[in-house]
Amino acid sequence: MVAVDVQNLVKVFGSFKALDGLSFQVEEGEVYGLIGPNGAGKTTTLRILATLLLPTSGVVKVFGYDVVSEASKVRRIIAYLAEEAGAYRNLTGREYLSIIARIYFGSKEEAYKAVEWAVKASGLGDKIRDKVKTYSKGMKRRLQVARVFMVRPRLAILDEPTAGLDVIHANYIRRLIRDYAREYGTTVVLSSHNMLEVEYICDRVALIDRGRIVAEGTPDELKSVWSASNLEEVFVKVVGSG
Amino acid sequence: MSRLVPLVEKEVKDLLRDPRIYIGLIVPVLIMPVIGLAMSTAMTSSIESVTREGVKVAVLDFDRTGVSRGFIRFLNGSGLKVYRLSSKTVEDAVKELEDADIKVLIVVPDGFGSNVTSYRRARVDVYFLVKSVGFGEAGLFSIVENILNLYAKVLSESFISSMNSSVNPEEVREPLNTTSRTVIKGEVLNVPPQALFGQFFMGYGIMVPLVLTMVSVTVAQIAATATAVENEEKTLETLLTLPVSRYEILLAKLIGSTVVAVLGTLFFIIGFSVYFQSFFTVEGLTEGIPVSQLKLPPPPPETFFALSLSLLIAVFFTTSLGVIIGALSSDVRISNSLIGIVIVPIMIPAFLIMYGDVEALPLGLQILVYALPPSYPMLIARDMLLAELPVEALYGIPYSAGLTAFLLLLTSRLLVPEKLLSLQYKILARRMKGRKSRG
Repeated sequence: MVAVDVQNLVKVFGSFKALDGLSFQVEEGEVYGLIGPNGAGKTTTLRILATLLLPTSGVVKVFGYDVVSEASKVRRIIAYLAEEAGAYRNLTGREYLSIIARIYFGSKEEAYKAVEWAVKASGLGDKIRDKVKTYSKGMKRRLQVARVFMVRPRLAILDEPTAGLDVIHANYIRRLIRDYAREYGTTVVLSSHNMLEVEYICDRVALIDRGRIVAEGTPDELKSVWSASNLEEVFVKVVGSG
Repeated sequence: MSRLVPLVEKEVKDLLRDPRIYIGLIVPVLIMPVIGLAMSTAMTSSIESVTREGVKVAVLDFDRTGVSRGFIRFLNGSGLKVYRLSSKTVEDAVKELEDADIKVLIVVPDGFGSNVTSYRRARVDVYFLVKSVGFGEAGLFSIVENILNLYAKVLSESFISSMNSSVNPEEVREPLNTTSRTVIKGEVLNVPPQALFGQFFMGYGIMVPLVLTMVSVTVAQIAATATAVENEEKTLETLLTLPVSRYEILLAKLIGSTVVAVLGTLFFIIGFSVYFQSFFTVEGLTEGIPVSQLKLPPPPPETFFALSLSLLIAVFFTTSLGVIIGALSSDVRISNSLIGIVIVPIMIPAFLIMYGDVEALPLGLQILVYALPPSYPMLIARDMLLAELPVEALYGIPYSAGLTAFLLLLTSRLLVPEKLLSLQYKILARRMKGRKSRG
């Protein structure tokens, strides 16, 4: 089943065209990566998928639901991690997870189980009982990624999940995303600047430049087509040639 | 509704634990009683010190008659500590007192005794030497004046009795006995109207506007800060992707901010009451008819219902404004600077009602007064003294409810990142432009 269907997506901010006829499809259970230089349109695409922004034109569907006319249905099956997303500073990590879980789950038991799972997944240990304002950037990000998967979304939308994190935290989050997606068959669409990360996590990758997809395929396909040893070389060749 | 509970819990917990919020709530609670206590302690100790040490007065007797000596004995007998001076002139006496611990000089001029014995008005000159400014000084001067007035009364009674022993001196001194009563709604109250007006200004005139202003401003401020913090901490984006409606998000903000604002207002009232109480416990500084002795006709129950309803509508109105301001502000600093600009003009019409005559205002201003929901609790509170529901409340409450519902709808429509981001950008660009032009 097609999880994400983006057709001729155009987004204009004033006189700036952020997306210029972007089209791609993501299959259910796939981990799909969007990579591209700054201002290429990655975050705009993810925000439209998350129902935060409206397309200027084009069609975007998530599991068959239109992100504009059926936004509330889309919100029930997605979880979004914004770049630099914060949590409520004065709540503890556990309180934050509990509030989010109670919004998604009908019964208290389900919510409690989900929180227990997220507490374990975040790897924050006893720090989960501390207020979020005492967390490091890496700890906040681990909490947020755990929050995304805790709600058992059909589609997880992750904008730069490891940006600005040290190697230890970044590695933890990458493993969490990959393991969760494999175990639960969750579809993931993520953006990243880190080519090694994308190669490690993603089943398929799209290179975006100036609001358009300039290359798409599995990491191996892209490396083969562009005669590169890794995705970073592919990126330089594709974007550099553009 | 079940999704609303965690949202409200999030709002209340996050707000109550936010130093930016609770410092604003707790500081007035602590400051007001501390100020009141400090002032009352200062007043009490000053007055006690004067009473304990006794009031010292210096007397310069140029008359040197039996009457002037009798006057000095009277002063001594009234509790004053009298020191007799032998200076030749008043100037010398004042100079002599400059370094002494005496702040009052009473000069009995020559001819004092002969005036008294011939029933003519006698003169006494009193010099108050102000050496410091405080409640102690004020009390001291007032004690001396009271004793002099008492002497004048004794003197006048003695004049009257010696002229005609069958006359009651008290009746001659006050030949007209006026008893003022107040009629409200046909009920006769044995108090003068000024006592009622005093109660009105203390109760409905001060407390109601104060509470209304506190609640409205605090709730708007809290809602604006709470929403601006969502922008600043980048939590709004996540919140808007959760499976909750814009109305639920807005309602949670309204309820959360109102709960916290009401708590804050309660704290403030406690602090304010302690502050006021500390003044009224100082003996000798208050006079008049105790409020408990007044028996006003109680306002009908529907008045209280209308007041509560209109207050709730007014609070929701200002909270919505707070959410709009917070949503349009990319950080708390911008929201704080915007909130005052918006809220203060909205509260002014409410005070026009309480302290002025709305009908005497120009038509434009009258329309403004009646157009804003915070005016209606004031209108109702003002007429509570007359135990009636103002006619304006009958159409004002539904009108306010409609306007507030419209504002809530507008606010919920605004909680769309597409609009928010572009409006926030415009406000920021305008501020930057303003700064550049000032620079």
